[in-house]
Amino acid sequence: MTKTRGGLGTTVVMTLVALLWISPLVLLVITAVRPLSDFIANGPLSWPGTFTFDNFADAWGIGNFATTYRNSLILLVLKVPLGVFISAMLAFALAKLRIRFGTAIMYTVFLGLTIPIYITIVPVFVMARSAGITDSLIGLIGPYLAFGIPFEVLVLQSFFRQLPDEILEAARIDGAGAWRTFLTIALPLSAPALVTVFILDAVATWNEFLFALILLNSDAHKTIPVGLLNFQGQFSNNNTGLAAGILIAVVPILVAYTFLQRWIVGGLTAGASKG
Amino acid sequence: MRRREGLAAWVFAAPALIVYFVFLVYPALSSLWFSFTDWDGLSPGYNTVGLDNYKDMASDPVVRQAAVNNLIWAVVTVVVPVVLGLVLAVVLNGKVRGKPVLRLIFYTPAVLPLVSVASIWGWLYNPQYGAINAALRAVGLDSLAQPWLGQDSTALGATMVAAIWLRVGFPMLLYLAALQGISPDLYEAATVDGASRWQQFWHITMPGLKPAHYVVIALSVIDSFKVFDLIYAMTYGGPGTATQVMGTWMYFNVFQYNQAGYGTAIAVVITVVAVAVSIPYVRSQTKEHAI
Repeated sequence: MTKTRGGLGTTVVMTLVALLWISPLVLLVITAVRPLSDFIANGPLSWPGTFTFDNFADAWGIGNFATTYRNSLILLVLKVPLGVFISAMLAFALAKLRIRFGTAIMYTVFLGLTIPIYITIVPVFVMARSAGITDSLIGLIGPYLAFGIPFEVLVLQSFFRQLPDEILEAARIDGAGAWRTFLTIALPLSAPALVTVFILDAVATWNEFLFALILLNSDAHKTIPVGLLNFQGQFSNNNTGLAAGILIAVVPILVAYTFLQRWIVGGLTAGASKG
Repeated sequence: MRRREGLAAWVFAAPALIVYFVFLVYPALSSLWFSFTDWDGLSPGYNTVGLDNYKDMASDPVVRQAAVNNLIWAVVTVVVPVVLGLVLAVVLNGKVRGKPVLRLIFYTPAVLPLVSVASIWGWLYNPQYGAINAALRAVGLDSLAQPWLGQDSTALGATMVAAIWLRVGFPMLLYLAALQGISPDLYEAATVDGASRWQQFWHITMPGLKPAHYVVIALSVIDSFKVFDLIYAMTYGGPGTATQVMGTWMYFNVFQYNQAGYGTAIAVVITVVAVAVSIPYVRSQTKEHAI
């Protein structure tokens, strides 16, 4: 009897705290679907008198979201699979191929987790300029790959380590080389870890701001975060339009997170703790 | 045979290592070199000036302010989310309904782009139309309504509230996972012995979470040193220089004032501090995995 009551009380308190936590996003949705005049007349905390989707149409056009969406998607498609694949290769070498200086390599690569991106921006900018790839999505791929590698290798190598050596040994006796063992045994057996790393890397790539801010100049090449920043400046007096624009920028990531959260949670805990 | 395998290992390692060295290690080291020069970031040439940039930092009031802000930021945005995350994890690990939804909600802000978090909170803090001042006025606290991001006294605190909002979820998830590893038998035995909830928390839960504490705090500290996006997009370092941190002040020097040499020196200092603080964590991760 007391036990159930205790559970109920906690549930009520936690629900209220959760409502408070999510309230900025709820307010954002409510504001985005009302006319600006209604917002100004009744204030940000009121329930809308009338509903409209015009804000989304306005924000979509003025915010240049068709372009920034396309650019962010192109980056995602070019960068994430490549990054996960080369990280998996390095992780496999560290975990299963008895590479020399393995500990030194791990130390060097994991140190990358701690390095703030901004220490590299001046030289990266100089490199991009001399290669003629500033203001181009291609110029972002190298730095994005490099800053994704430490976390991906950390998670994947700890996963590969758990694969029983006997399976790999058996494949070798059957005449499979390291390459075939990697592609046909190690990768398929590590599908859960690969999916997790893939999703987390996609989120990080979609959200990256500093390199994109520095390397991309023209509106035609901007990604979602940089585009949103410009949009925020233009719409500072149009609260409902601004709310709609922010939602346009974050809805895909919220939807993806809701459906894929199991993988995200698993990966974060596996990568951070013992692995 | 062994030699062939050794070669294969390097073939596997090479692509990622090359990318890592070209786009991370080399730029980081060449920043160190730039920090000893007077390069403006544009001209083809520059002079080496030894430690002048570092000496200048000592007498730059904004550097002092940024360093203090970084320190405040590190303490507040580590301690508050870690404590709140721990409380949420312990509660969610007990008898609560709707756990998956609650967990989903508390981690949601962490997946958003930081620029959008900055936009959302900038909008909530809007002096005229923001929800926060509206809520204060609604409960009769009109006198507390103020331009949160527009005045020195509240700007840094206001940005940290947004940071706390988005950073509570991560420690919560890690603590929740770690709590699964503590045997329920321990609590049962303690209950039989008459230990209170509070005693159980301090004598069973906290010691059981020791490895998790270490990882959570290390990763939170590492993350706090990287602060840039949120400040840049929310206050642009202002009003005045009230919310400058080392990352943003570096950016302003390099890209606004054409002092690339000086800017990189600022970045070098914060990076050295960040790396030094996190070396024990990196070492523990390497050791755990070494064969």
